[in-house]
Amino acid sequence: MYQISSLTTEQSVHCKQQYSSKKRVLEAISELLAEGQKRLSPNKIFEILLNRERLGSTALGKGIALPHGRIENIEKPIIAILTLENGVDFEAPDEQPVDIIFALLVPIECNEKHLQLLAALASLFNESDFREKIRGASEPIDIIKTLESADKIDTN
Amino acid sequence: MTVARTLVREKNDVTIVDTDSYLLQEISGRLDLRTVQGNAAHPDILKQAGAEDADMIIAATTSDEVNMIACQVAYTLYHTPTKIARIRAQVYLREGKLYANESIPIDHIISPEQLITEHVFRLIEYPGSLQVIDFAKGRVRLVGVRADRNGSLVGSTISCLSQRPSLDTRVAAIYRQGQAIVPTGDTTIQANDEVFFITSRQDTLTVMEEIRGISKPSKRIMIAGGGNIGRSVAKVLESRYRVKLIEKSPDRSFTLAESLNRTLVLKGDATDRELLIEEGIDNVDVFCALTNDDEDNILCAMLAKRLGAGKVISLIARPAYVDLIQKDIIDIAVSPQQVTTSALLTHIRRGDVVAVHSLRHGAAEAIEAIAHGDYRTSKVVGRCINELSLPSGASIGALVRDEQVLIAHGNIKIEEGDHVIIFLTDKNKVPQVEKLFQVGVAFI
Repeated sequence: MYQISSLTTEQSVHCKQQYSSKKRVLEAISELLAEGQKRLSPNKIFEILLNRERLGSTALGKGIALPHGRIENIEKPIIAILTLENGVDFEAPDEQPVDIIFALLVPIECNEKHLQLLAALASLFNESDFREKIRGASEPIDIIKTLESADKIDTN
Repeated sequence: MTVARTLVREKNDVTIVDTDSYLLQEISGRLDLRTVQGNAAHPDILKQAGAEDADMIIAATTSDEVNMIACQVAYTLYHTPTKIARIRAQVYLREGKLYANESIPIDHIISPEQLITEHVFRLIEYPGSLQVIDFAKGRVRLVGVRADRNGSLVGSTISCLSQRPSLDTRVAAIYRQGQAIVPTGDTTIQANDEVFFITSRQDTLTVMEEIRGISKPSKRIMIAGGGNIGRSVAKVLESRYRVKLIEKSPDRSFTLAESLNRTLVLKGDATDRELLIEEGIDNVDVFCALTNDDEDNILCAMLAKRLGAGKVISLIARPAYVDLIQKDIIDIAVSPQQVTTSALLTHIRRGDVVAVHSLRHGAAEAIEAIAHGDYRTSKVVGRCINELSLPSGASIGALVRDEQVLIAHGNIKIEEGDHVIIFLTDKNKVPQVEKLFQVGVAFI
């Protein structure tokens, strides 16, 4: 199993931002995903995330969305995290605005491990405690720490 | 405007940009949307209209060039995900290579002339049909016909149709005196019913014959109006039918005669009774009124019908006229807006929707959607057709799997990648069908 905290960096996390639409959120998170990845272009990522959203929204409900997609030129999954001051409409099943965006890119050859990772993220957000910690964080480092402690509980 | 109304009704945030402030005032009085006055290709105007947040731009001004630049600006400056443009000039339409994000960033081109030409062509190809719609690249057809006493099926139940092993079809809906009936096996087809059925291309004619008797194929076509639409309809018809085209303007009729090979171009007024008689209107199988003037079209179509034309088709732009006219005097009214709206709707639908057609002047809709995912992430894949929780008034007509057409029967299981053709008698149920075809979050 992946350590979730190992798939992201402080540079790929932004807290309490202001965006006015799902489209702008996806643009912003595409930039974060491309952060430090020389072989990825934000435009390409944006396109991939959008195409996936067209097939069905990745919003989970309770203000959480997990936009994701497969992309060439990466060896392991990449995660970027964005939290918003005010939620945006993400076509969520509960119709609630989304203010926590956890974006995930996996290699083209998507396998069982990647499906498990997505499922693990979804189940983490089932816990209201975890949700509130992420939502309340005002610095990227706080989010990384929350992920690290979640990883520890998981491995124990 | 029609498109805007549909978009607003489906709870989208819509902003209309136009140079005409009077028109904008009119629209905003009637629909719940935002308006911005200005040139739709100008970056500042687009920004003001909310381009930074917009999921889609529909560039439908009267100028091809403005439409192209509007899409270019929206993409380059604002990354607008979906860009649709109306393009009219044939010279642009021919160059498919032009339209890509790296060159002219247009995702979907809408060409009203082309759409109307195809529409009229199908109506002539299938005499007796009210509407013929292609799905899955023409492998499957949805056909609307008016049932006639001469049809062998009229007076019997739909289950009789399925008892003929050689004929595989599904009746999607029946309209009786304007009311939709969701057909079951026991439903009896009555004369004058408007029957919509789905079948493969090969079976189309046979099924039509069962419902309305044998219609003799058309031979002689007369077209009134040699504008872009009249010309392109003549062009697609002239190799298979004997086509006469009436055009008012001497200059235009001269160019038409040059560019059309087998069509007989006549200079004159299509509302001129003597001319129609002289040109043998009583021998004409189908008369198409395709000028750009509603009143002229209605008039000459009525006249043609009275003088003995077999069937008359008229282009009618104003929706109010369409409702007034059809049925009694003019056999088929073709509304350019409706045809164009259908094409636009395809790109507005959520989920992987390949085609949308609006039917019966927008009240009903037919959708072709692709099933994605697996049993876990999809609500349709791995399930039998009769297990799906379709909203009332919705029925699945057919599946297309690879090259193969499967007419829908309850026990067919849907597989990933299937194109599913759904008929909805009530377009308000569209969101429920869209949801059904969307994949769950776990789909990667």
